[in-house]
Amino acid sequence: MKPLKIIRIYLVLFVLGLLFALPFCYAIYTSLLQMKDVDKIVKLSQLTLENYIHLFSSKEYALRRWYTNSIIMTAIIVTGNVVINSMAAFALAKLKFKGQKVVSFIVVATLMIPYYIILMPVYIKMAQLGWLNTFRALTVPYLTQCIYIFLLRQFFVTIPEELLDASRIDGLSKAGSFFYIIVPLSKPAFISMIILNFTGTWNSYIIPSTMTSKQDMYVLVVGLNSLKDQFFERTNIVMTGVVITTISVVILFLFLQKYYVQGLSQSGIKG
Amino acid sequence: MKINRFNKSLLNTDWFTGWLFLSPFLLLWVYWFFFPLLQSVGRSFQSVDLLKIDQATFNGITNYINVFKNPEFLQALKNSFLIVAIAVPVQTVLALVSAMAVNVPLPGRVVFRTLFSIPYITSPIAVTTVFMVLFRKGNVLVTLLSKLGFPDKTWYADIHLALPFIMLVYIWRNIGFYMIIYLAGLQDIPKELYEAATVDGADELAKFRHITVPMLKNVTFFVVTLGIISAFQIFDEVAAISRYGALGSPAGTTSTLVTYFYQYGIRYRDIGHGSAAVIIFFFIILAFTAIQKRIVKPL
Repeated sequence: MKPLKIIRIYLVLFVLGLLFALPFCYAIYTSLLQMKDVDKIVKLSQLTLENYIHLFSSKEYALRRWYTNSIIMTAIIVTGNVVINSMAAFALAKLKFKGQKVVSFIVVATLMIPYYIILMPVYIKMAQLGWLNTFRALTVPYLTQCIYIFLLRQFFVTIPEELLDASRIDGLSKAGSFFYIIVPLSKPAFISMIILNFTGTWNSYIIPSTMTSKQDMYVLVVGLNSLKDQFFERTNIVMTGVVITTISVVILFLFLQKYYVQGLSQSGIKG
Repeated sequence: MKINRFNKSLLNTDWFTGWLFLSPFLLLWVYWFFFPLLQSVGRSFQSVDLLKIDQATFNGITNYINVFKNPEFLQALKNSFLIVAIAVPVQTVLALVSAMAVNVPLPGRVVFRTLFSIPYITSPIAVTTVFMVLFRKGNVLVTLLSKLGFPDKTWYADIHLALPFIMLVYIWRNIGFYMIIYLAGLQDIPKELYEAATVDGADELAKFRHITVPMLKNVTFFVVTLGIISAFQIFDEVAAISRYGALGSPAGTTSTLVTYFYQYGIRYRDIGHGSAAVIIFFFIILAFTAIQKRIVKPL
């Protein structure tokens, strides 16, 4: 490769890199500052973790509660999706029975319908059931999501039939072959699904903010938004909230990004 | 003998195992998706207040007429189309550029790929919050931009700059997602094509125009249609900047189809009007989805 071309590519990479990194750096840096130092360059020794300690310990904010709520909501939804979607995907990918086509159609058709369309009826139903401001309103309708059934199914069909036939000769039932053959072989697909589902749930705003009105039931993202509205002038505190909200997903992503990329490109969207 | 016994078990039939395994999904889907969907359609033809659901009365297509007659809706519609018309081309081009830059085997490219992908996995609320601070009057960035001819104002609070601000945040967060899709597409292009072109004496630009672009046609089609569908659904960024006012503040200049239905249905409790708005929104999306469906491999 010509040196000129290499320089050009690095130039593009650095300019884009700067645009992407700047807001993150700003948020992290500001979260380490005292209020009087915001938007100033300070010495390394003046950086402090005070804001983090303050946010987590002060009674002024329910941050610990919000964090716990986010973890509970995400854990319930991801668990539900892993179990329910993989079973459904197995039925659609590896079995043959009457009515299967209809269910496949349902899955694909649901993918085409924006979720907003049912937000109001779901909200009303939650109110009627008295589920608003509970974890049921945050999780129950989202325990299974068609996009992930689709994704898992795409993976399951690539598992050779011979393996399943062999397992049956060895005495496994159809259901047994799912638990003993399909599940262990599909680890990458499961990890892809989990990371997409985790980030989607963790970052979701419209549903948790609609279904909860009590501060105690806020999840982190909703809490951050209220924190921002209330304390926008205390930039260092707000930026600390931003870092706390995003850091969990970023760390998960850094460890599992290989699977994330696979998940996106496997979902049947490559040309 | 053992095999025979299993053959008789219900768990060894396709139909029983199939329906058993599908049942949790189907139950949840029917109760929490299908019924609500029917209700949304039904209520769009009713006059119904959120607090008095039982006293709904049929009013035909009045809600639809009212939606189209409402200047606020027309503004939301205009804003949504503006976001799509500007954000989608910009993010598509930038995604392709970054994918091509990251695709070249140079040291450090993995670091850049990771960096470019991170915005998409972070919360839109968090991202918008950071940008709000950065684009506040008095911040270094706004001062710098004012030297380049942009107004020296708080962007998200200004009626002319708020919508561009929303687009900016949205594009910034989405580039990485489409970059990954482009990257997968680029890696599918056979290397031999480029080698043959080099032998024939083609320069970089010719290779880009005659190999990369045509080979990525389907991927681009996907990136653009998905980009359109997603851009229509923008909500969080707008919600984040509406601090004290109604959704879409300042003065409705950032309202979108989604914030419009949310404002009417949930905030103003006018379920009929909100439902009609969301059904209209659905049909707009459907038009674009119908195109996209052609390339998402059917089940």
